[in-house]
Amino acid sequence: MSAGTIPTPGGGAVGAPPVETVTVTIDGKTQQVAKGTNLLEACNAAGANVPFFCYHPGLSSPAVCRQCLVDVKGQAKPVPSCYTPVADKMEVMTASPKVLDVRRQMLEFTLVNHPIDCPICDKAGECLLQKHYFDWDGKLARNDGIKVKKAKVVDLGPTIVLDQERCILCTRCIRVCDEVAGVHQLEMSKRGDHELLGTAPGHKLDNPYSLNTVDVCPVGALTSKDFRFAMRAWELYATPSVCAGCATGCNIDIHSSRGRIYRLVPRVNERVNKHWMCDEGRLTYKAVHAERLAAPMSDGGAVEWDRALEDATRRLRTVIDQGPGRLGVVFNATSPNEDLYALAKLSFEHLGVGRAYLAGRDQGWSDQILVSGDKNPNTAGAFAIGAGRLKTLLDLANDLKAGALGALLVVGTEGVLVGDTASAAMPLDRLEALVVLSTHKNAVTKAAHVALPLAGWAELDGTFTNKLGMVQRAHAAFPPAGDALPGWDVLSHLARKLGATMDFQTAKAVFAEASAKLPFMKGAVWGRAVRPLQLRFANSRG
Amino acid sequence: MDNTLAPPASRRVVVGIQEPQDFDAPELPTEPLPLNMGPSHPAMHGTVRMVLEVEGEKISSADVQIGYLHRCFEKESEFATWTQVFPYTDRLNYVSPMLNNVGYAMAVEKLMGITALIPERAQYIRVLVGEISRITDHMTCLGASAMELGAFTPFLYMLKAREWLFELLEEVCGARLTVSYLRIGGCAWDLPVAFADKLRNILDRTKGVLEDVAKLLDRNRIFRDRLDGIGIITQADCLQYGITGPVGRSTGLAYDVRKDAPYLVYDRFDFDVPVGSVGDNFDRYAVRVEEIKQSMRILEQALEQLPAGEFMLNDPRIALPPKSETYNSIEAMIAHFKLIMDGIHVPAGEVYSYTEAGNGELGFYLVSDGTGRPWKCRVRPPCFAAVSILPELLKGVFIADIVPTFGLMNMIGGECDR
Repeated sequence: MSAGTIPTPGGGAVGAPPVETVTVTIDGKTQQVAKGTNLLEACNAAGANVPFFCYHPGLSSPAVCRQCLVDVKGQAKPVPSCYTPVADKMEVMTASPKVLDVRRQMLEFTLVNHPIDCPICDKAGECLLQKHYFDWDGKLARNDGIKVKKAKVVDLGPTIVLDQERCILCTRCIRVCDEVAGVHQLEMSKRGDHELLGTAPGHKLDNPYSLNTVDVCPVGALTSKDFRFAMRAWELYATPSVCAGCATGCNIDIHSSRGRIYRLVPRVNERVNKHWMCDEGRLTYKAVHAERLAAPMSDGGAVEWDRALEDATRRLRTVIDQGPGRLGVVFNATSPNEDLYALAKLSFEHLGVGRAYLAGRDQGWSDQILVSGDKNPNTAGAFAIGAGRLKTLLDLANDLKAGALGALLVVGTEGVLVGDTASAAMPLDRLEALVVLSTHKNAVTKAAHVALPLAGWAELDGTFTNKLGMVQRAHAAFPPAGDALPGWDVLSHLARKLGATMDFQTAKAVFAEASAKLPFMKGAVWGRAVRPLQLRFANSRG
Repeated sequence: MDNTLAPPASRRVVVGIQEPQDFDAPELPTEPLPLNMGPSHPAMHGTVRMVLEVEGEKISSADVQIGYLHRCFEKESEFATWTQVFPYTDRLNYVSPMLNNVGYAMAVEKLMGITALIPERAQYIRVLVGEISRITDHMTCLGASAMELGAFTPFLYMLKAREWLFELLEEVCGARLTVSYLRIGGCAWDLPVAFADKLRNILDRTKGVLEDVAKLLDRNRIFRDRLDGIGIITQADCLQYGITGPVGRSTGLAYDVRKDAPYLVYDRFDFDVPVGSVGDNFDRYAVRVEEIKQSMRILEQALEQLPAGEFMLNDPRIALPPKSETYNSIEAMIAHFKLIMDGIHVPAGEVYSYTEAGNGELGFYLVSDGTGRPWKCRVRPPCFAAVSILPELLKGVFIADIVPTFGLMNMIGGECDR
């Protein structure tokens, strides 16, 4: 190892093997780069701005778009940087007149057959072709020949529509299917400017990761049937969050506008989901807006928060006063750590509850890629916070039948008693007090004496613990529906009315206390507040 | 050449305050009385509040409170693309909006380093619309000041002539005030048909109006008594407060950006910079009248020299492509889309650019972070400096003297308060 090499982060002491480096000169600046690095990544890491279409940091490089050509000293022709590993003593020019010229010529070729679709194209505003043209070409058309005609609406499968004219033949979508989903469903046919993207006859693009092809498509060729024509991209605001669809906890951006989510897109996290997320997760946003419990309910009628809290307190108090053990609480594996912690504190420290149960969504399908069979975003957090005190829903049904419970406090109704048959199995009508905190209207809120509206996962600041035990932060994309409040807030109000000394003012305060007390949250960071960023300015600044 | 306006022989130069000689009861005790003038007062040029402390008719202190027309221009600009800032600049000095357009466009062009590339015709057009605006600016100031001193006729005459010019500007850009005519790289469109003939005709008629007004005011005893020797500013004051423009020149300070740091094509015109000698209200009046005449000289020369050619820089990264191109080629479509949605990409950096506006040196300090929006867009409003001397200037004068003194400072709320 020569002097001047870059030490690996935290290396040396841990005994990690030192990274072998080579000396590369990029635009006149000499630096050490890890051996084997792709030249494009090396250039852009060094501050150069080399454009590309077919390269994607999460995929292999086929070097088909020729947009990343750079000049390497000693090479007669410009080389595709995405396909070239760095070599020792390489001298690279990323902005020489020759490079700028070929870059412009490649764009001109790409644009020759590109349809004039920007006003009706879903990708307009976040389109790589638009960006690269404006940044690198800056010349008006030199030819007015007739563009090649291709199919405008090709139904590729249940989720995707293809516009073959817009396709710039970068093959990113093919590689996403091959390398992420592990199925070869898309293919190129024909050649030259008649080359077409498509599926084999009789086949569909229907893998569970198909919507990633829309994300990686640099232009508007592949569009999501769900998002197509629903909203202009630049009107959307992005909020960093965590997918609540399963225990994997894919990092996502919520794209919303005026209190409504239009799509969920993956946010890069190399340790969890890399650049991807599953189709099922993407569509979980629909449930955020459907059938919400918007106002507190008492005895079936909408009431003010104060009245609802008083009614809840009165009913719970009656049962608590009957003696210990008559009050049960139901935790939920879809709740964030903050709600679970506040409920645990109220139940075990202040009310001395002996019977606690854990509810959650049913198990579902899984694969070896991203999808977990556990469909709850915070099972790990619930188990850790419950610390062995949580019983199952089956135990709850038995306890109810045995008449052991007089009152039940349910925080989060996901997975609790779905449908009439289950309700019949759980004799809720024997309870003197059923106080339910719920995001949605359902059979449980209907049966409840008092139902209190909860903020949904997209509306709260909080943390979820994924199946790897990583505590991940979600940010509120917009205010909660109707009068809904976050769970820790409702529980704080309830605690005050019940005479308990639990008084949280912010989610951050709950997090701070929880992370100081609970080993599994040790070292977790709340992070700074994030304001939703309008996508129009996402590529410039916030 | 000597471009000093010699004070007329009849002119009374009064220093300090004249105590009324025939004061009936000099022994009557007076005590300071707080008096509010504005923010909405018929004799105030804009929405500005003066909290006066008067002893009898004499002002012992004046607290000039500005900011009633604050519209967050600078902050607002950070959320608009570089081009979308133009409509905001219209509303800075709203009696000469074209000059603000010129100042802003030139600042952005300086930051982009394309000043030398602006087509010559566009530069002449900028001079033309700018000087027309300077005339309307001065006419508004002079007419309104005369009216506030009781001379209603000159006001109507001035506004009549101003109207001719506004109508011409309306033909150019479709609006009298909200012009938004200039663009980064040139002008939004070319001058209308027969612009030169119409302008020459208007200038001829305007000269007649100026003569009429001069006859009514210049030797008018009532008018002169209210102006002469009132509100004297020295050159040292100007340097200390940063006062430029007609107010600064009234003190004899011959600073005019068009002469001292020529921009556009101002170095190709023969014109004088009129200066006063006393620095009182009358000098400010006289300098403005003379500046109108000099602007007319510039206009006539500019019409003579106006070249044919492009009125906008031909670069799809800066100028919107023609509609026919936009509809029929993907390149122009993308350029159009990006210019509207993202804005012109201005390289990262900062710049201070200054031009001669109606009230003096109008400066724009711009900072770009390389995106389509200003990171910072700071304005140096010329009348802000002029207004800042008012508390000192009004100390010791009579209440009635506020009206001409404040009027001829020409505070424009849109510009001063931003």
